[in-house]
Amino acid sequence: MARSEFREWRPTRTSLFAGGLILIGFWLTSVSWWFLLLVGLGTFGPGVLREMGWLGDKDEFQRRADHRAGYHAFLTAGFAAFGLVAFFRSGERVVRDSEELATLFLALLWFTWFLSSLLAYWGTEKTVVRILSVFGFAWLGFAILGNVGSEWSGWPALLLHPLLSAPFFVLAWVSKRWPRPAGILLLVAALFFFQFFQMFRRDNLALVTEGVTFILFLGPLLASGIALLASERGFGANPRDA
Amino acid sequence: MTQQELADRVGVTRQTILSIEKGKYTPSVALALALAEVFEVVVEELFELKKGENDG
Repeated sequence: MARSEFREWRPTRTSLFAGGLILIGFWLTSVSWWFLLLVGLGTFGPGVLREMGWLGDKDEFQRRADHRAGYHAFLTAGFAAFGLVAFFRSGERVVRDSEELATLFLALLWFTWFLSSLLAYWGTEKTVVRILSVFGFAWLGFAILGNVGSEWSGWPALLLHPLLSAPFFVLAWVSKRWPRPAGILLLVAALFFFQFFQMFRRDNLALVTEGVTFILFLGPLLASGIALLASERGFGANPRDA
Repeated sequence: MTQQELADRVGVTRQTILSIEKGKYTPSVALALALAEVFEVVVEELFELKKGENDG
């Protein structure tokens, strides 16, 4: 979305109502977890009404973007489900807390849907550049705050640690010019971090901690890499210049 | 005509017009016909099928 689009963007009455339900639902979970159903109603209710044909607040581009994002979420969650079943069946592994598993799947569904929507609305390259820039600035922030907040580790550390964010900015620059090689580099980076964090290696792992790290940290890198490699062109139109 | 005016005339959002212009989105037949009607041209003058675009 360009800056002018941000200025023009106004939430619809449906999204305001749904957002209100989500916030109230989360707030009321302190009273009873049954109120989490309100969050579910706010999240999925409008989509259900649209599919029933009772709510017509989106035009065809938005509906198609929603459908694609939903399909991407289905594919991702499907793969994750097979992976988890294989993982748990392959040894003496147990889920310590089944609610963690459900939460993880909700996070995976929502995050995939969100990333896919960004790709539909912004286009691949713009989305990837923005995701990598956010990553870069987040690392930069952590690096600076980590040095300032803890024991003073000296100027060299303060100057060198922020360099950890440099690969993200370099990848953002590369992805604009050479999308395919950048896509491969992003997948390699995701594999590196998978190895680096020693993910899903231990029995009785802290599923939510590992899963959320995976979704928030590796997810955007994986999704960006796949999108660049797939040469995503939105919904592929060729309007004449006239 | 602005993108918003065009969007209002064919009953979609400006985002949709923008996406069509940028080649990110192929409109439905109904929307393509509506756009052609606004510009008083035939659909083929607005859109073209490039080689290999309709494969699979």
